Amino acid sequence: MLKPPIRCLNHMIFAFNLSVVPLWSSMAHAALGGPEAAVVAEARQLNASVKSIEHVGYRVQEIQLPSGTVMREFADAQGTVFAVAWSGPAMPNLRQALGSYFDVYVNAPKDKHMGHSHLEIRQNDLVVQSSGHMRGGFHGRAYLPEAVPAGTALDEIR
Amino acid sequence: MRNSMRTLRTGLTLVLMLAAISCGGGDSSGGGSSGTTAAAGNVVSVIVDGGPTATSGAINTLYTTVTICVPGSTTQCQTIDHVQVDTQSEGFRVLGSVLSLTLSVNKATDGNALAECTVFGDGYSWGPIASADIQVGGESASSVPIQVIGDANFQSVPDSCSSQNPTSEDTVATFGANGILGIGVFAQDCGAGCDVAAQNFYYYSCPTSTTCALLTAPTTIQVANPVTLFATDNNGTIIDLPAVSSPGATTVTGSLIFGIDTESNNASGSQTVLALNGAGNFTTVFDGTSYGDSIIDSGSNGIFFNDSNITQCTSATGFYCPATTENFSATLTSTNGVSVTESFSVANAETLTSDDPTFTALPDLGGTFTSDAAGFDWGLPFFFGRRVAFAIEGLNTSVGTGPYTAF
Repeated sequence: MLKPPIRCLNHMIFAFNLSVVPLWSSMAHAALGGPEAAVVAEARQLNASVKSIEHVGYRVQEIQLPSGTVMREFADAQGTVFAVAWSGPAMPNLRQALGSYFDVYVNAPKDKHMGHSHLEIRQNDLVVQSSGHMRGGFHGRAYLPEAVPAGTALDEIR
Repeated sequence: MRNSMRTLRTGLTLVLMLAAISCGGGDSSGGGSSGTTAAAGNVVSVIVDGGPTATSGAINTLYTTVTICVPGSTTQCQTIDHVQVDTQSEGFRVLGSVLSLTLSVNKATDGNALAECTVFGDGYSWGPIASADIQVGGESASSVPIQVIGDANFQSVPDSCSSQNPTSEDTVATFGANGILGIGVFAQDCGAGCDVAAQNFYYYSCPTSTTCALLTAPTTIQVANPVTLFATDNNGTIIDLPAVSSPGATTVTGSLIFGIDTESNNASGSQTVLALNGAGNFTTVFDGTSYGDSIIDSGSNGIFFNDSNITQCTSATGFYCPATTENFSATLTSTNGVSVTESFSVANAETLTSDDPTFTALPDLGGTFTSDAAGFDWGLPFFFGRRVAFAIEGLNTSVGTGPYTAF
């Protein structure tokens, strides 16, 4: 689980960006509903490695975060991010990943307590599924149902 | 020199401002005596019921009762009911609104107050770390680092905490319990990772209660699994619950047994021993797909897995609602070559909860999982009608060395 020292430096930069809100909120929104180009620019700022993967109807920017968690941002043909998915030892920064939809997620009614390992919200404009625990890792995704390109199966968002 | 001056001043600030965790004065628990006319031995009763309050509405949630005391005291104690039993977290946590004791806040490595952002799959719980003596059944452990969730003196949640998994679970209502007893397969809630800056997303140093910042925490000051600190019966746990007939039951009572192969009531038999990897996970093969981050979790209230062919509920978001009960099987496999196939059923969650609203135990409750082909969660329905053992990392039993799950 221990990472090489260079990771520590990466993370310090990462954490700084997260904790100083104006720094990143002044940037273009690299987030759900925002432009894909900002994702790449922001990932570079975070010293995160980015891999671009083409699919039929959409493109995935796969970002290896300093924490070891992999985040994938799904962009449609117009370059708009319609989904994000994450998997790995730590949660990503959802405030950053969800952008303007973060508050939608926070304020969404959570009607059934599912235990502490899962949360799901399902609204017309936003679906979020989050699972995991501290020692075993986290998995999840968020997508905009009305923006998923035609022909893209929801199971592909992962 | 300047550094030591600063340390001293910080220390004074700590004493003045953060010396004690506030008392919420919750009335769900009796303070006073050392409590438990505890059943002697290594067993404590557990129950599945509706939860800590009349409006909790808990389903498939396993609770027990825990007594905590100010370290070294036999009189400043509090017995807390409806503490959730969780096999996928480590350590004891109590809601600040429930706590009536005055506990001292522990220190981070820089001498400031120590606080934690506990991240669950469904949200976060924020609060300071304190030490307490813990009694569960006839077992006890001294000066165990615990967390006080939602403490009144620590109401300012750092952005780096709430941005991770932003649903706050800092009240009894949102947490669904008065506390949680994490009896997972590790000795601490984070481990060596939190002593490395790049891996520490959880432990904070607080010069004041409103200016907390992430700071690495060695395992010695992390929230500890109390089981590992018991004098005996400390190598694992067994949860023993009776079978529950479909569609459900109003309450279910069973036992949480401490130790494996340490007493006559916790001997290993011929059960399946499923070795767990370094993250405490194993692999489930379901419908041709391998899910490598599988868990057996008393803290999840259903069987959670991804199958887009099953109808999802419209109001009970995150659960499955097939028109008729569907039967499935999946194979649990492990690095030790063990492979065992288990069957399970998924009924309509909305019908289950509406047909008899008094039911709190529902063996056929199933829910969705994100589609990344990694996670499969065998929640509380898996526990009904069997004994499930959890051996702690690095500790031995007659059938192996932890971490493993046996059933």
